[in-house]
Amino acid sequence: MLKYSLKRLSSSLLTLLIIVSVVFILLRQMPIEGYFDNFDKLDQASINAKLNQLGLNDPIPVQLWNFLKGVMNGDLGTSARYSVGAPITGLIAKKAPISIKLGVMSMALSLLMGIPLGTAMARNKGKFWDKIGTMYIVFINAVPAAVYYIFIQMYGTSALGISMLFDLNDPITWILPVFSMALGNTAYYAMWLRRYMVDEMNKDYVRLARAKGVSGQNIMMKHVLRNAFVPMIQYIPTSLLYTVCGSIYIESLYSIPGMGGLLVDVIGRQDNPMVQAIVMIYSCIGIVGLLMGDLLMGMIDPRISFVKKEGAR
Amino acid sequence: MEYTMDNPILSVRGLNIKFNLRGRTLHAIRDVGLDLYKGESLAIVGESGSGKSVFVKSFMGLLDANGWVDSGEILYNGENLTKFTTEKQWLTVRGKQIAMVLQDPMTSLNPLKTIGAQIMEAIELHQGLHGEAARKEMISVLVDVGINDPERRAKQYPHEFSGGMRQRVVIAIAVACRPQILICDEPTTALDVTIQAQILGLIRNLKEKYNLTTIYITHDLGVVANVADRIAVMYAGDIVEIGLCEEVFYQPKHPYTWALLSSLPQLGIKGEPLYSIHGTPPNLFNEVKGDAFAPRNPQALKIDFVKRPPYFEVSPTHKARTWLLDPRAPKIDPPEAVRKLATEGVKGYA
Repeated sequence: MLKYSLKRLSSSLLTLLIIVSVVFILLRQMPIEGYFDNFDKLDQASINAKLNQLGLNDPIPVQLWNFLKGVMNGDLGTSARYSVGAPITGLIAKKAPISIKLGVMSMALSLLMGIPLGTAMARNKGKFWDKIGTMYIVFINAVPAAVYYIFIQMYGTSALGISMLFDLNDPITWILPVFSMALGNTAYYAMWLRRYMVDEMNKDYVRLARAKGVSGQNIMMKHVLRNAFVPMIQYIPTSLLYTVCGSIYIESLYSIPGMGGLLVDVIGRQDNPMVQAIVMIYSCIGIVGLLMGDLLMGMIDPRISFVKKEGAR
Repeated sequence: MEYTMDNPILSVRGLNIKFNLRGRTLHAIRDVGLDLYKGESLAIVGESGSGKSVFVKSFMGLLDANGWVDSGEILYNGENLTKFTTEKQWLTVRGKQIAMVLQDPMTSLNPLKTIGAQIMEAIELHQGLHGEAARKEMISVLVDVGINDPERRAKQYPHEFSGGMRQRVVIAIAVACRPQILICDEPTTALDVTIQAQILGLIRNLKEKYNLTTIYITHDLGVVANVADRIAVMYAGDIVEIGLCEEVFYQPKHPYTWALLSSLPQLGIKGEPLYSIHGTPPNLFNEVKGDAFAPRNPQALKIDFVKRPPYFEVSPTHKARTWLLDPRAPKIDPPEAVRKLATEGVKGYA
C-alpha cells in the first residue's frame, strides 16, 4: 500500500510538472506588450531594461528553472499587472480561503442533495421520483450552466430580497452562489448513484440477503448503498473539477473576491505570472483529487490489492 | 431424522402463479398441490423453465415484482402464506422458518463484507444473539460447514474463497438462520464435479444435525438419487409425478418421467446417439389443453390432447398425472432403457 501510494504520488508530481511547464512555455509566447502600461511610448532601450529586470530575456528553460526554484521556496513570483510588484503568494493567500470555503460548502451541499435523490430514484425505478430526477439531470446536462446561473441570480436575489452581489460579511448572500455551484454536482452524483444502485440491486447477493430475511430498508442501506459508493469514488476528481470550473464563473458573476474570479481577472489583464501561479494551483487540486480517488478506492474495496500476490491471477 | 407421511410441515393446495410479461400473462404454476413432511428430503426435478424455482420462491414471497399468486394456498404452521401482503409478515418466514441456498456461490455473497459479518447478520436477525455471543455462534457454524481455521477465515472477503468454499459459506448463512425448511436451489450446478459430492454430503449432515426438512431443486438426476427421499417431477408448471425415490426411478408411470430417465447418459448404449426428448415445452402464455407433455409424446393417447389427466394413485406414496393409469387406457410399456433401469439399476445411481 505504501509503495503503491509513493509510486502514485511521484507520477502525480510528474504530471504536475508537465502541466506547469506547458502552461509556462505557452504564456511566454504571448506578446510582450502585456507587461507594459505604455508600450507605445517607450523606446527600445527602456523596454529591454524592463524585460531584463523581469528576467524575460533569459532563455525559456532558464526562466522555467528559476520559476520552479521559486515555487520550491514557496515563492510564486510577483504580479506584473494586477498589483504591480506585489508577491503573488500574498495576493492568493487573501483570496483562496473564500474560494475553498465556497467549494467545500457546495460539495457538501451537492452530496447532501445528490445521495438522497439518487437513492430515491433507484428505489422507485421507473416511477414518479425517478422521472422527476431524470428530468432534473437532463436539464442540468443540457442547459449551459451560465444560463441557469444567471436566472438563479436574477430571480433568486429578488425573491430573497437581497443584493445581486456577494458580501463577505452577510451570510445570506452566500446561499445562492453555493446553491448554484452545487446543482451540477447534485445531478452528477444522483445520476451515477442511481445507476450503480440499480446495478447492485439486481445482483444475486441481494436476493440471498432477502432470502435470509433482511428487510428491504436494511438491504438498501447496509448492502446496496454501501456497495454502490465504491464505484462512485472514481467520480470524486471530476466533481472536484466541476466545482472549480463552477467557481470560476460563479465568482465573477457574484463578484466574489475569490481565486476563480481572480483568474478571469488576471487573464484579461495578461498578468502572466499570476495566470501561471493560479493555473498551477488548480492543476494541483485536480491531481490531488485523482490521487485521492485512487487511494480511497483501494481502502474501501477489499478486492483491490496494491501488492502483487504470489501466483496472482 | 426419519420422517412420517402424516405430518406435513408445509402444504400447498391448488397453487396458481402468473407473471405479467409485457402485457401478456404467463401461467407459470398451474394448479399444483404438494405436501412436505417434516424431516424429509424432497427433490423437485424438471427442465429449465418448468417452474421449479418459481414454485419454491413463492413459499418465501420472493417472486419477482411482475409475478403473483393467482389462487391457491400455501399452509405453513396453520398460516396461509399466500395471504401475506406486507414485508413485515414475510420477514416472519424468510430465514426464520425457510432458508435458501442459491445456485451460484460466486455471486450470492456481498463482495464488500467479510463472510463473518454476513453470517453474523443472519445470526443477529434470527437467533437474537449479539456481540461476542453472535461471534462465537458464527465461528461454530463455520466449523459445522467444514471451514478450517474459522477465526482467520471469518475476517476474509468472498473473493478470497474458492467456489466450493463460498457455497459452504452460503450454506452457513442459511443454517445460521436456524430454519425449519432449507431450500437448495440447484446448489451444485455452478460447482466443480469433484466438489459437488462434498457439498451434497455437507447438506445431508447439516440436515441431520439441525433437524431440517430439505427441498432440492435440480435437473441433475444424479444429485437426486444421492439425496432425495421423495421426488417430484415438474413439467410445464405442474407436478406430473411424485413418489418415493425408488418408485420414481424404478416404477415410473408418466411418459415424461420415462423420457427424462431415458435421457440419462448412463443409460445410453455405446455407439448410439444419446436419447433426447423431441420438441420444446409448451408456451405457457397460451392455455395448455390436456396433458402438457402430449405434443412431445409419440405414444400420446387421443384424450391426452383433450382433457387434463387427474392424479392416479399408484401406491399410497406414489401418484402420477397420466391417462395411462386409467383402467380403460391401452397398455403401453415404458421404453426399454427405463425397464433396464428397473431390473439392473445403473452404476452410481440409486
